[in-house]
Amino acid sequence: MTPEEMESASSAKVAARARVLFDEHLVNVHRRADSVFGALMLVQWVAAILVALVLSPYAWEGKVKTVNLHVWVALLLGGLISSLPILLVWTRPGWFANRWVIAVAQMLWSALLIHLLGGRIETHFHVFGSLAFLAFYRDWRILVPATIVVAADHFLRGVFWPESVYGVVSPQWWRFLEHAFWVAFEDVVLVFACIQGVHELRAIAQRQAEVEALSERDQLVSSELRAALEELKATQEARTRAEKLAAVGQLAASVGHELRNPLAAVRNAATYVSRRLTDPKLAGKPASEDPKVPQFLGVIDRELGACARIISDLLDFARERKPSLQPCPLGPLVDEALGVVPPRPNVRLVDEVPDDLPVPNLDKDQFRQVLINLVQNASEAMPEGRAGRVTVRAEGGATAPWRILVIDDGPGIPADAVARIFEPLYTTKVKGTGLGLAIVANIVGAHNGRVQVQSEPGQGATFVIELPPEHLARSEPSSVLPGPAVAVAG
Amino acid sequence: VTSAAARQPLRPLHVLVGVAWLVLVLTGSGLLWRYKATPGTPGSPPATWPSESRIAPSPDLPTLVMFAHPMCPCTRASLDELEVLVSGAQASVRAYVLFVKPDDVGDDYDVTNYWARVEQIPGVVPRIDEGGREADRFGSVTSGHVLLYSPGGRLLYSGGITGARGHAGDNQGRRALIALLRHGAPRSERQPVFGCSLEDPQPPGEEAVR
Repeated sequence: MTPEEMESASSAKVAARARVLFDEHLVNVHRRADSVFGALMLVQWVAAILVALVLSPYAWEGKVKTVNLHVWVALLLGGLISSLPILLVWTRPGWFANRWVIAVAQMLWSALLIHLLGGRIETHFHVFGSLAFLAFYRDWRILVPATIVVAADHFLRGVFWPESVYGVVSPQWWRFLEHAFWVAFEDVVLVFACIQGVHELRAIAQRQAEVEALSERDQLVSSELRAALEELKATQEARTRAEKLAAVGQLAASVGHELRNPLAAVRNAATYVSRRLTDPKLAGKPASEDPKVPQFLGVIDRELGACARIISDLLDFARERKPSLQPCPLGPLVDEALGVVPPRPNVRLVDEVPDDLPVPNLDKDQFRQVLINLVQNASEAMPEGRAGRVTVRAEGGATAPWRILVIDDGPGIPADAVARIFEPLYTTKVKGTGLGLAIVANIVGAHNGRVQVQSEPGQGATFVIELPPEHLARSEPSSVLPGPAVAVAG
Repeated sequence: VTSAAARQPLRPLHVLVGVAWLVLVLTGSGLLWRYKATPGTPGSPPATWPSESRIAPSPDLPTLVMFAHPMCPCTRASLDELEVLVSGAQASVRAYVLFVKPDDVGDDYDVTNYWARVEQIPGVVPRIDEGGREADRFGSVTSGHVLLYSPGGRLLYSGGITGARGHAGDNQGRRALIALLRHGAPRSERQPVFGCSLEDPQPPGEEAVR
């Protein structure tokens, strides 16, 4: 189907729906008008009875009274006039014939009330009011029978009893034209009002049909969008699973690679020691006298230590523990970390954390690990035989964010390495797991902070940790520092 | 109600019921019309002022006498028309409204029912006609019956001043009286009277005396 054909089909559907809605609205209008007139018929009947009972309850002959004919007329004739409209409205609300019967009945009520109220000229306003009420139906055709009833009533009374119509006994010949003009004038106004009312109903139905069509289209688009989002989510989950598998594979390869060399050294050393102990030719010579045995035992110890460190780093990285925040003075923590880092000749580790620095809330164990990793990283970056200095500073507190800086004056970090330095398993060192800085980034991120590195080749490197202000450190996500947990700067 | 239900066609029974309803209503209206337009007994007023009357006619002004039933609802319209007549005549007239009080009336018969209404009309004097004796003297048997006598005691007008029972508005009687009061008339005028009877109903089979 072409877009033009689809548009045409949609327009036809809207037009058909608009017709149905218009019919429904019109029936509702007729039902409401029926209800109004049903009630009005009842009210007029009761009012007529009350008028008769109050104004002319009895007819008298001398001192003998009888119930006035007005009372019977109000009760019976009034009841008769109202009965058929009420019956129809009750049993068949909205039926097309109701309004025709009601139009006739309402104008009959005008005539009856004029009689019951003694021909007061004011009662003639009931005629004009009734015609206006009938316009509630928005069907100009029913004004025709109503006007015919008025005309017939006025014609007959004008012939036999002119003063009851015109207020005078011998009206001028043109007086009937004056009365006809006013009735016709109201009829014309009401016919226009009815036609306009129907046009408005039609326009409302058209607008409603268009809104429904738009809503339908929106729902369709919305469901398609939902389906697309679910598909995207499934794809993302599949991709995440695949990435995890790839990461596991990469990790396994890296760990295997890192463990292979020390294990090979251990195996060689162990093989030598084993042979030395089981060789029958050397059965009489104690192994302790062989200088190579202690040497190989030392190799075994050193390489197994390296294996343990790799495993330990791996566990630190893999273990995602929520920080347990508590007041933790930074100065002593830095001193503790500097004491743990293996010393290197000519490399000075300096704690420049001010003594009066406020105490932040930190996970002490995790942040000691962060400081050890950063300081050790900086220390190991110093070339062999060159003097260097690693300084730890801190500032902030109260309402200012915490800043902990680890500054070294080493060779700096190559620009291509700066961008990847916090990636897991990425390392520029010959002997490194590539997990130290990744662990730092994880822990800092868990503290709602961020870590960044600034470095120029030959100018050393500065690692900056930023944490939210003290009073926000305990808060949940609202206290997170803006931006990613890791940032780099050249 | 659905659109289809609202458009259900007319059946012959519906038309029959509608026509029957209309015929009944028109019949009832016709009966009401006939009742309202049927005049009461015209009475036989004397051509000259009855000498035995206790009411003194004016020697130099026309004298108008209206006999009214104090409990008849039609009296209200007659008094309304009398007010229009007196104010519209633009001529001096001595006017009386005599409320007929038959002998032996019950407690529900309040002869002063319209008394205050009459007092509101300038120049019109209310009186009670004990036992209906004045009505007898003037030959009046229907409420709303108006008689106009010349200063010399000659009957100028006899009839009602409403166009139907209890129906206010312009009518031949009022017009004739206004013309008489303004311009005089060579001969007396008669019009029908619409109102309650001033006399008790006659037993079946007996003819009215007057």
